[in-house]
Amino acid sequence: MNWLAKLMGGRDGATSPDTNVLQTIADWKALPACDPNRPHFEARYTIVNTEASGLNLDHDTLLSVAAIGLNEGILTPENSFYAALEPHPAATLAELLRFAGKEPLVVFNAGFNRSMLERAFDTHLGFVPELIWLDLFILLPTLFPDRINRNARLADWMEAFDIETFQRHHALGDAFVIAQLMLAAQARALAQGVSTPRALVEVERARRQLQRHT
Amino acid sequence: MTVTAPDMLVGASSDFLKRFSPFNRMEPEALAFLAQRAALAFHARGNEILTPEMGQARHFYIIQRGKVQSRQTGATVVTEYASMSMGPGECFPIGAISASRPSTNAYVAVEDSFCFQITADDFMQLMQMSPVFHLFCTQYIASLLNQSRQQLQTTFSQRAAEQQTMTTPLAQLVKQEPVFVAPDCSTREALEKMAELHIGCMVIADAEQRPLGVLTQSDLLPRLLLPGVDLSLPISEVMTANPHELLSTASAYDAALAMATHGVRHLLVIDADGRLQGVVSERDLFSLQRISLRQIRAGIESATEAKALQRASQDIRQLALNLIAQGIGAEQLTQFISALNDALTRRIISLALEHHDLYGIDFAWLSFGSEGRHEQTLSTDQDNGIIWVCPELQELEKLRVRLVKFAREVNDNLAACGFPLCKGNIMASNPDLCLTLDEWRSRFGSWIREPDPQALLNASIFFDFRVLYGNERLGDHLRAWLNKSAKSNATFQRMMASNALQVVPPLGRIRDFVLDDDGMIDLKKSGARLFVDVARILALRTGAESSSTVQRLRRAAVKMGVPNEEVSAIIDGFHFIQLLRLRSQHLDTEHDDVTDNKVNPETLNELDRRILKEAFRQARKLQLRLKLDYQL
Repeated sequence: MNWLAKLMGGRDGATSPDTNVLQTIADWKALPACDPNRPHFEARYTIVNTEASGLNLDHDTLLSVAAIGLNEGILTPENSFYAALEPHPAATLAELLRFAGKEPLVVFNAGFNRSMLERAFDTHLGFVPELIWLDLFILLPTLFPDRINRNARLADWMEAFDIETFQRHHALGDAFVIAQLMLAAQARALAQGVSTPRALVEVERARRQLQRHT
Repeated sequence: MTVTAPDMLVGASSDFLKRFSPFNRMEPEALAFLAQRAALAFHARGNEILTPEMGQARHFYIIQRGKVQSRQTGATVVTEYASMSMGPGECFPIGAISASRPSTNAYVAVEDSFCFQITADDFMQLMQMSPVFHLFCTQYIASLLNQSRQQLQTTFSQRAAEQQTMTTPLAQLVKQEPVFVAPDCSTREALEKMAELHIGCMVIADAEQRPLGVLTQSDLLPRLLLPGVDLSLPISEVMTANPHELLSTASAYDAALAMATHGVRHLLVIDADGRLQGVVSERDLFSLQRISLRQIRAGIESATEAKALQRASQDIRQLALNLIAQGIGAEQLTQFISALNDALTRRIISLALEHHDLYGIDFAWLSFGSEGRHEQTLSTDQDNGIIWVCPELQELEKLRVRLVKFAREVNDNLAACGFPLCKGNIMASNPDLCLTLDEWRSRFGSWIREPDPQALLNASIFFDFRVLYGNERLGDHLRAWLNKSAKSNATFQRMMASNALQVVPPLGRIRDFVLDDDGMIDLKKSGARLFVDVARILALRTGAESSSTVQRLRRAAVKMGVPNEEVSAIIDGFHFIQLLRLRSQHLDTEHDDVTDNKVNPETLNELDRRILKEAFRQARKLQLRLKLDYQL
């Protein structure tokens, strides 16, 4: 079953497809693919973060999503997105895609956030968008071993960088923390010669392999 | 209503900003504007955030986290600090961004730092919408002015022999417990006490220790010995009543000025309740100084011919140099020069009066131009005139001839004392400027009624008059009449305003300054004059009676409801230009008209350059005000 049929079929109970949602998705699909070799100072990253009913991937469901765009190393308040999934999960997820475009997505703890999001895309939109994902959970200790040389919780990184946010455990509140960490990560990566999204992906992959083998 | 993601992030920024001054006092709309536009960026340790090489500053930064060091670049250290580190809530570069020019400091992150940034356009808009923020930036720039003065002082300290500071409060100069006697004490007893304690000045005070009079050593001969006064008389019979007093919080400078003004050698120092704290003598103030006020003053007072006054006039220049070394600002310095030059001129006039019989003629000697404004620098030529009243049944022209003859002697002697003759013949010896009160009125009146270019030029010189010698009331009458006439003539004011706007501050669009053909800036013509001209118009319009530019601006500002900070910033700018003028006159060892008042901005240090630019911006602001007021 293709994504359109799924949407039309209304597996989640929707009787008619929302034409706006269809249009948004069509527009998104028409976007050119992101160039992973663009240097950080020209690249755009989208921080995404989720809020779920709990931490169990099998039982818990996605409640809301937040995103903050980083454009050429700058965080501006208007470049942000936050919405609850209900009552229109398909519309919310489509809007998230519209906001993020095809630029690399940055999460903290992909194991949970990426899985949660991809499952929601599959459920409500009927497809899983192919995007570059970066996980600061893995990248931060690689880039900043001088601060924390192990996989650490978001709270630990906040402390290490003396970063604050307006609300912890809120999808956007935490996204704001992750965005600030990403700003720092970009600068450190650049200083180490890791100057593009693709290079960051490589660093992350190497770290994961190292961890698997030790 | 739902709260959007941008709202939440803006809220986070404004919560942060509210923890710091001046943002915590900022108007809510202005704070919201700032928080909406504040973008966050990261600067790794060791990275340059802003340097002079980056060109015109494009962003204004507020540190969110971390530490940024501001370091002076270039060969010389121009502020009191060579580098300064800044933490969360602090912002930069205020001077560069408000003046749209490159920063003079290099800003480097010394820790991993996050900074908010807004664009230069947003910064300007914020300044416009927020009086609080505007004030914050203005005060910051004012503090730079202060630093420059300190630096100037250091330069001159090296040139001057002494370091004694003229800003010391009198309380610190008074070393002895006050010595005084009661008014009923016998003269003999008082004299014995003076001899015993080796003091040159005895104070007579009441039971509350409030001074009633003084008796000084120099009084002994004329007042006691020669008349053969009975020494058993109470001292109150022979003392000088109502002695000159100063509060103990006044500075050595204030004391020196008072001594020069009143021609006394001792001043009584009192506390806030008027109780005697001690006595300061000229010797206390200038014991270390090569040329003392006493010497200059004594030289002036004792001169019996104009030749002897020439020496005093050279000493005045030398003293001015010492005073700059001691950190006296332009305002006090010009006042000081003015006070001594006044004394000199008065002495020349009274010497001339010994040869000219003007008995029975009610007259006053007028100063015009910078002397009239108390803004003399060290290379001012003379601008003067006479106002007089013709007694009934006397022949007008005959009297005028006598006055002119007298004036010629004064003008010549002033010239011999270093006040060059006026090239434009604006001198009292010009019969055209030796006018009766009625004639001056009709002269001024014709300029006001028909303000052609020559009339406007005349107004700019002659309307800054003050009485230097003779009957002050003649000057008061003329001033009152002038203010009334000019105030009611809007056309004249408008023409004056348009004339004042002919010269614009030499600020460049691309480069900092627009230079004359010789690569210099004329600090008089394109600097001080801009302030002086506007101040004159504002004074006429608001009826302010002072002839000094600073007083005119202050009084006009009160009447026009201009905020105090704003007028203070303008006055600071004016003083800075005056200070640069004085400095260039001093540093040119040869007294040379050509280079006086000229400055080559290339030779200024960075801080002076940026302050000069700010001073010109203040002039532009003042002109803009005039432009709006008269819709020019």
